[in-house]
Amino acid sequence: MGLSIDWRAVLRNTLLATAAFGLLAGSAVAQKRGGTLTVGMELDITGFDPLKVGVFDTSAYMAAALIFDTLTMLDDKGAAQPKLAVSWTSSEDLKTWTFKLRAGVKFQDGTPFNAAAVKWNIDRQKDPANKCRCAFYISNVDAVDAPDELTLIFRLNTPSSMLPETLSLPSSNNVMQSPTAIQAKGDDYNRNPVGTGPYVLKSWVAGDRMALEKNPDYWDKDRVYLDRIALKPLPDAQARFASLQSGSVDIIWHDESDSDNLKKVATMPAFTLHTYVGSGAGVSAINTKNPPLDDVNVRRALVMALDRKGIADAIYGGMPRPATNPYGEGSWVKCADDGALPYDVAKAKALIQAYGKPVKFALVVTSTPRGRAVGQVYQQMWKTIGADVSIEQIDQASFPPRAFARKFDVIGWRIIDLADPDPQMYANFHSASPVNLANYSNPELDRLLQHARVTADRTERTKDYCAISRLLNSEATWFWTFQNTYYAISKARVKGLPKMYSGVIDVSHAWLD
Amino acid sequence: MLKLIGRRLLYLLPVLLAVSVLTFLVAALLPGDMAEVLLGDQATPETLAALRHDMGLDQPLLVRYFIWLSHVLQGDFGRSFRTGQTVLSAVAERLPISLELMLGAQLIGLSIGIPVAIICAVRQGSWFDRTMTGGAFGMLSVPSFLSAILLIWLFAVQFQILPATGYTPFSEDPWGNLRGFVLPALTLALGEWPVITRVLRSDMIATLQEDFIAMARAKGLKQSRILLVHALKPSSLTLVTVTGINIGRLIGGAVIVETIFAMPGIGRLLVTAIYSRDLMMLQGVVLLVASGFVMLNFIVDLLYATLDPRIRHGRG
Repeated sequence: MGLSIDWRAVLRNTLLATAAFGLLAGSAVAQKRGGTLTVGMELDITGFDPLKVGVFDTSAYMAAALIFDTLTMLDDKGAAQPKLAVSWTSSEDLKTWTFKLRAGVKFQDGTPFNAAAVKWNIDRQKDPANKCRCAFYISNVDAVDAPDELTLIFRLNTPSSMLPETLSLPSSNNVMQSPTAIQAKGDDYNRNPVGTGPYVLKSWVAGDRMALEKNPDYWDKDRVYLDRIALKPLPDAQARFASLQSGSVDIIWHDESDSDNLKKVATMPAFTLHTYVGSGAGVSAINTKNPPLDDVNVRRALVMALDRKGIADAIYGGMPRPATNPYGEGSWVKCADDGALPYDVAKAKALIQAYGKPVKFALVVTSTPRGRAVGQVYQQMWKTIGADVSIEQIDQASFPPRAFARKFDVIGWRIIDLADPDPQMYANFHSASPVNLANYSNPELDRLLQHARVTADRTERTKDYCAISRLLNSEATWFWTFQNTYYAISKARVKGLPKMYSGVIDVSHAWLD
Repeated sequence: MLKLIGRRLLYLLPVLLAVSVLTFLVAALLPGDMAEVLLGDQATPETLAALRHDMGLDQPLLVRYFIWLSHVLQGDFGRSFRTGQTVLSAVAERLPISLELMLGAQLIGLSIGIPVAIICAVRQGSWFDRTMTGGAFGMLSVPSFLSAILLIWLFAVQFQILPATGYTPFSEDPWGNLRGFVLPALTLALGEWPVITRVLRSDMIATLQEDFIAMARAKGLKQSRILLVHALKPSSLTLVTVTGINIGRLIGGAVIVETIFAMPGIGRLLVTAIYSRDLMMLQGVVLLVASGFVMLNFIVDLLYATLDPRIRHGRG
């Protein structure tokens, strides 16, 4: 199927979009009420009880953003704004955060939302007896206190300058679930969740459709427009796109691996392409304990041999933006010099030759056609500089355990779009972290990570993070391939979508024109 | 006849036992276990060992097998460790969807396959026969994930007459339910009718040369009556076998087709269970599906007996 771009259509749409923007800027757009929105997600949702499912994936985030609320939310500049919490202050050392909660909020089962409910949720996740996989992500929280109905105190064991931003993601840790419902429903709660959110779960056919209805008692109900929302898992990307084209769904999640569709909708006036340039990137860890990868020049050679533009063209239709640091354009960390190594095959060849011994190692990729294609491209690029690379394919479920057990030479990973770089930077690169996948230890790196963690000032932190980037690039313990870009495609009449933070399509305040 | 049923039922026991052993082994031999998936990035040798102990995964394989089997024999297939749902209720929820899909596929397959086979057999060597035999071979080589996307493109995107994906419960909207099943069933049927046509065509050609057909012709019976009544029944023995075995292929095909068309059937349940290493669910579903397949083929065996008196009277 050939792809020809109708430039007149592109121009027309651009003009229309500009005109629409002018209207938006000129006067408040009247949101229309009512109607049903059907969302095509990628995966089935297994449930919402943190103890059962551990952590949510992107599909579960989308549903959680409707059924539940978080304490905070992000505005379009990425700063925390009030949601269930109305204000907050922190102690000087950034280890004690006090939140004032919104009064009069009720869970969908009628029970009151208060500080004790938040404490109950977090205590339950942290209780060692519950063995929740979710506990790892709040291991920095020592305790949560509820001194009165609407006051909540987070006591942290490590300073966090961006706790309010971190609490905005609708993750299994952050969404507030009804303690009464969890206790009353037991095993059945997982698929019968109760939150304080703008939509109430009405019915759920496993593997098919989750039907949600507007919560008539929502604390912010004037800003909720749709009557009903249906969430459908459509695992096959082409079939998902066809469902949008044929009209049975209104908005779908999409990714860069099917770039043809993304290019096609850019020229179709009936659809809107929503793009969010996130922070973070697709990355790979090099196991610095395994020869020949213990040699810094071998690692540098591997990184210098990567033609990211070539990979983007060969596999992804040229859409992905090459990454030169772990933060990306979507991050507030902007570096004048990130220390990226240049793409230089001749130099890479020379480094491998200077090493003198044969360079032979294995690359671990997922057992999908895409994983195989990516592996083969790397293999070819590294072959041209004289490295002998074998590909090992393992399936998605075995991927994290292999990485955490350090049973790999080179393995793919991802730094996802989060408001604060600290949690992932510290976890991936600090020598004492259990997920320091590269097995790399450097006191200067540890010092910088620690300093960035305990500092509140963004200019200071940016300096730290840029120094970290230069150090990591120079030591070539990890490399970055492509920045995170998140996509959604909707019918043109779907309006009111916020930025897709962490790839979450949040339709809680969407409306149909 | 009763003796025959009894004897065949006895054969079933070792088959079902073998199925249970294989199911258990395949699930147990998958790389990466439940404890690893559950713990994810918290997996240290100590936490893994503790969780495996809690879940009984540190027991010898044989012991785990017999514990599982004894529960299954009491009708307890266990619970999914991810959703907390019992295996039986998950299967009960999703089985009707897969059955409707397979029944639809089989019906479409037979209603294309049988007429084509009869015409080909009667007009053996004609252009129709040659085109259809060649076409059948071509169809057989098209993988279902390709034909599925082509059908979606044609009927959902171009003509917009059928939904691209999704399932509507029959109780909610019977017409919508049927419409939703057309494309997935057709996808599966496209791989079914060629087999049916090829098998029936060659049997039919052989039957048409039998003396009793010449006799019927001599009596002056109508061609349609000869074909549909006198020739079809004796020619359909192999067809029945193939249809029985094809159900196995259909179950395999359902895994792919249900994923593409987003039908919440058994196939999707299996895929999800495999990806999440939901062993209880996986073992339970595979055992139930395999037992169902074995039972269906048992019924097919009985059908022979009605079709062929020689088998019925033990002279086969």
